[in-house]
Amino acid sequence: MSQPVVKPALPAEETYQLSTKPESLLQQAFKKFFNNWLAISGLIIMLIFITLALLAPYIQPYPAAKIDLLSLDAPPSAAHWLGTDAIGRDIVSRLLAGSRVSLLVGFSVAAGTVFVGSVIGSIAGFFGGWIDSFLMRFIDVMLSFPGLFLNILVLAIFGGQFIYLILIMVFTYWMGVARLVRGQFLQLREMQYVEAAKATGVPAWQIMFNHLLRNATGPIIVSATLSVGGAILSESALSFLGLGVQPPQTSWGQMLSNSQEYMLTNPMYAVYPGMCIFLTVLAINFVGDGIRDALDPRQKVRIKKGRLEQWRARYSK
Amino acid sequence: MSEYLIRRLLQSVLVLFLISLVSFGLIHAAPGGPATIYIKPNQSPEIAKVQLHNMGLDRPIHIQYWSWLSKMVQGDFGITFKAGRPVGDLVWPALKNTLILMTTAWVMQLLIAIPWGIYNSTRQYGLSDNTAAVVAYAGMSMPAFWFAILMQEFFSLKLDLLPLSNMYAINKQGQILDLIYHMVLPVTVLVIIGMAGYTRYARASMLEVLGQDYVRTARAKGVSENKVIFKHALRNALIPIVTILGLDLPGIVAGAALTETVFNWPGMGRLFVDMAYAREYSVIMAVTMIVAVFVIIGNLIADILYAVVDPRVRLSGKGATSA
Repeated sequence: MSQPVVKPALPAEETYQLSTKPESLLQQAFKKFFNNWLAISGLIIMLIFITLALLAPYIQPYPAAKIDLLSLDAPPSAAHWLGTDAIGRDIVSRLLAGSRVSLLVGFSVAAGTVFVGSVIGSIAGFFGGWIDSFLMRFIDVMLSFPGLFLNILVLAIFGGQFIYLILIMVFTYWMGVARLVRGQFLQLREMQYVEAAKATGVPAWQIMFNHLLRNATGPIIVSATLSVGGAILSESALSFLGLGVQPPQTSWGQMLSNSQEYMLTNPMYAVYPGMCIFLTVLAINFVGDGIRDALDPRQKVRIKKGRLEQWRARYSK
Repeated sequence: MSEYLIRRLLQSVLVLFLISLVSFGLIHAAPGGPATIYIKPNQSPEIAKVQLHNMGLDRPIHIQYWSWLSKMVQGDFGITFKAGRPVGDLVWPALKNTLILMTTAWVMQLLIAIPWGIYNSTRQYGLSDNTAAVVAYAGMSMPAFWFAILMQEFFSLKLDLLPLSNMYAINKQGQILDLIYHMVLPVTVLVIIGMAGYTRYARASMLEVLGQDYVRTARAKGVSENKVIFKHALRNALIPIVTILGLDLPGIVAGAALTETVFNWPGMGRLFVDMAYAREYSVIMAVTMIVAVFVIIGNLIADILYAVVDPRVRLSGKGATSA
C-alpha cells in the first residue's frame, strides 16, 4: 500500500532539526529566563556590582578612609568623580569599599539562611510526627520575636562585628526557608519515586538529599535569591543605626547614616549610597522573579510577536 | 470555637514565656552581664558588692528571672539603672507615640490600597495597575529610611514646607494641630512605602476570585458589574486580605524603628535603639515583651478573623493551628 508522500510546503532555506531527546526542564528554564528582559538586565546589573565589589581594592582611586584635607566637601571633578564627603574622603572609593560589605553580607546571609532553613525544614518535612510539630512550634516562637529588635539587641550588646552581623541575621531569617522546604517535602514525599526508593531500601538520608531536596531546589534557589536582597536591606538598616560594621570600615548603610549629619550642606551624600542599594536590590529581585517564572511550568515561553506573525502567515492559508 | 480559643491562648502564654526566657537569657549572656556595666572599673570591691546587692544582681540567675517575671506580669517593669526612673514612664508614652504615628499610616494605607487594588483588578495591566506594580517593586527594593531621608531633604530642607523631625515644635508641646503638621511627612513616607504592596495583594486576591465559576455565573445571569465586583467578588476576596492584615498588625509596633529614628519620633522603635546603646536592660526587656505581646495578639486576631470571614474554616480544637 503506497501512501502519497506529503511534502511539507516549507521554504527551502529553513531546516528543521528533530532531536529524539526532548528539551530538558532545565533547558526550558534557561530559555525562559533568557527571554525575560527584566531578568536579564537584573542579572547584568547584579554582575556589574559583583565585579566592581570584587575588584574594589584594585580599582578604587583612593583608599576608602583616606582624608584629603585640601578638598573637603568637593564637588564632582576629574580627581574625585562624585566629589568628596565633608571630611575629604573620596565618595567613589567609599562606595566601592561599601559594596564589598553590603554584597558579602547579602550573599552570606542568604547562604546561611538557606543552609539552616533547608536542614531544619528537611528534618521536619521528612520525619513528620512529633519532630515536625516540635520544629514548627519552634518556628512559631521564632517568628513571634520581633526580628529587627533582636538584631539591634544582639549587635548592641556584642558589638557590631561582621561575623555577629551575619550570624544574627541568619538566626532571625531562616524560618521562611524552613517552612518552604518542609512544605515541599510534604508534597514530594508522597511521590511514587520516593515510595519506590523506600521499597528498594535506599537509606533515609539519601532519600532526603537525592530525592527530596534535589527536587525542591527550584523554590529554594528563588527564595535564596530574594533573600539576598532582603539581607542587603537589613544590613543597610542596621548600619544606619550604627550597629553594622564600624569605621574605618564602611558600608552603604553606614554612608547613609553619615549623610544625615550633612544633609544641610550636601544632600547628595544620601543619594549615592541609597541609589547603590536600590539598584542592587532591584536587580537581585528581578533575577529572583525571573528564576521563579522560569521554573514555573505554568508560565509558558513568551513567543515574540514577529515570530508569531510569521507562523500565522505561514500556516493560516 | 471556644475550645480552640482557649488552646490558642494557652499556646500564646507559653510562647510569651519562652520569649521572656530567651530575652532575659540573652541579656545575661552578654559579656560580663549587666553587672559590669554599672560598676565603674575604679570602684573598690566592697562598694561594688553593695551596689550589686542593692540592684539585686548578686542573686542566683533563676531568682533574678523569677522576680523580674513576676513583677512584669503585674505591670511593673522595674526601674532604669542609670536614672532610676520607673521603666513604665518611658515605655508607655513611647508606645502611645508609636501607635499615633503607625495606626494613622496603616489606616491610610488600607484606605488607599484596597480600593486601588480593586480598581486595578478590573483593569488589569492598565496604566494604574502598572503604576502600582512599579511602585510596589520599588518600595520592596529600597530601604524605607533612605526614602524618608530623601523626602526630608526635599520637603523640609529644599522647599521648607514641612518640619524636618520631632513630634512637636519646642514651643507647641501637646498641640494637636502641630502634631498633625509634624505627622505629614512620616505618614506620607510610610503610606507610600507600604501602600503599593497592599494594593498588589488586594488586586491578586480580587483577580483570583474574579476567575471563579460563581462570578461567571453571576455575570451570565445578568447581575450588574458593580454588584458582581462589590457583592460577589469583594466579599470573598477580603478573606486573604484580612489574614495578611492580622499578620502585619505587630509591624505597627515594631516596624517603625527606622522611620522613628530618621524623623526623631519619640516612639518604641527609637526608645529601643537608644536604650540598646545605653544598655538599659530593664527597658530593653520591657519593649521586647510588649512587642511580642502585640505579635501574638496579631496572629491570634488573624486566625480568628479568618474563621469569621470564611465560613468554610471551622475552628476546632485540633489541627486548626497554622502548621
